[in-house]
Amino acid sequence: MSSNTNSNWLDGNDGVYVAGIGLHPYQFPSDTPYTHLGLAAVRGALADAGLDWKQVQSAYVGTTSIGMAAGRVMFRHLGSTGLSVTQVENASASGSFAFRQACMEVAHGISDVVLAMGVDKHGDGRRAANKDGLERLSDTATIPAVKFALMARSYLRERGAGMESMAKVAVKNHANASRNPYAQFRKPRTLEQVLASPKVAGDLTVQQCCPRGEGAAATLLVSGRALKRLGLDPKRCVRVRASFANSERDETTYGQGPIDLVRSSAQAALEAAGIGATQLDLLELHDAFSVEELLYSEAVGVCAPGEGAAYLERGDSQIGGRCAINASGGLIGMGHPLGPTGIGQIAEITRQIRGEAEGRQHPNARWGMAHMIGLGSVAIAHVLSAAQA
Amino acid sequence: MTQDLTSMKPQRPSLYRLAADGRSLDFLFTQCPACHALSFPANAPGCMHCGHPTADAEQVARPGGGTLLEYVTLHVPLVPGMPAPSIAGDIRIAEQVVEEGVIAVDDESALQPGMTLRAVAVPLASGDSYGCAFVPAQEAAR
Repeated sequence: MSSNTNSNWLDGNDGVYVAGIGLHPYQFPSDTPYTHLGLAAVRGALADAGLDWKQVQSAYVGTTSIGMAAGRVMFRHLGSTGLSVTQVENASASGSFAFRQACMEVAHGISDVVLAMGVDKHGDGRRAANKDGLERLSDTATIPAVKFALMARSYLRERGAGMESMAKVAVKNHANASRNPYAQFRKPRTLEQVLASPKVAGDLTVQQCCPRGEGAAATLLVSGRALKRLGLDPKRCVRVRASFANSERDETTYGQGPIDLVRSSAQAALEAAGIGATQLDLLELHDAFSVEELLYSEAVGVCAPGEGAAYLERGDSQIGGRCAINASGGLIGMGHPLGPTGIGQIAEITRQIRGEAEGRQHPNARWGMAHMIGLGSVAIAHVLSAAQA
Repeated sequence: MTQDLTSMKPQRPSLYRLAADGRSLDFLFTQCPACHALSFPANAPGCMHCGHPTADAEQVARPGGGTLLEYVTLHVPLVPGMPAPSIAGDIRIAEQVVEEGVIAVDDESALQPGMTLRAVAVPLASGDSYGCAFVPAQEAAR
């Protein structure tokens, strides 16, 4: 049976735990070499876990724009220990898939201590879709901003909603980001500011769109067996309960493809974890454009179909609400440097479940989901919980 | 004066060619030998519906156009050389085939979902080729 469908595979090797997290703040494109960004995150994760680089047996590096063999070029500055190094590219979900690979390696008993990280610089946006030998009617056919602007317009039209319903996503997530020292944006924005910012495409203003940027995020995964052997504090280790990945099917109704993709991946992960969506305390999701959070919160199931905007309006998705959505600030506020983004979601959920998210702590956080989609489209969902949940 | 397009080349010859009226475009599809559905563009290496190889499939030309599903104004140039503002939309150009296209209208007030659009040839600045833009079918008929 495949790793996707066997709900117990993450229980192998006495379970998979996140023992350490580290980040380099997400930031606007700069001259800082990617090695500096990545090493800051890895050193942070090692220090957080109380582990030494020599103890790391394998590393997965999610990145989209740096080039070949980014990991080894970076890791030699930590010492050439001979560990296995694998680079993972899957567009926006590169870091998430690096994390999934690391989970597999630990759960299958191949290794007991594995690094999953993401690091990226803002690149030239080269895409495989532009090299498939096929012409397109419009030069914008592969531009996400256009796709999601069309999604936003359909949302507003079909729901009879006002533009402020989408803009409120940005207000919430910029507010969360303002309390996150690793976020690219650190200023709260009012509804008036979000709506008055320049329009990009359709009804999406610039403050409802994720920024370009760079950064790094790292997680150290350990097996349950190693957790005991290495004497790590189980209260600071967060367990990975489910990992599920899939890709888009032919849509049966125009515009439903991305939503069906999020729904199917999230529900499969929840089923594997053995919980319902309404049990999630935390949800980090792909809010590259504001409308996505409204639609995906419904698709994941934290609120009923058609209730995404009302869920936000009631404060249910705020920190301290029923389920804190994008407590990190999300892609809109924390940023979306591509390779690190999915790992940054895992780091945020880990920090929250530990109770260490100073200044933005969601109370009694025990269950969290990190959900990411990427060009293609691909989707991936991870469910994490307190070790004893 | 209407520009003579018949001496110009299509900017994207794998997608369309000038129709007999000298202004509209015909789109080039491939018809799957297995499921008989149309795929676009014609040189796609597999049927977009069933995945059957299309190397030996028949290419068919159909009047370019379709049903407008959704549209937005692009306020900034999202790709080099793109004029802004401009209007882009999703158009169903055949059964289960949706493509994004440029819509040549002054503003969104001329559009509504469900309306029929026609693909027309638009002379490019180079002077020797034409591109594709969609216009409301009623306008195209004038």
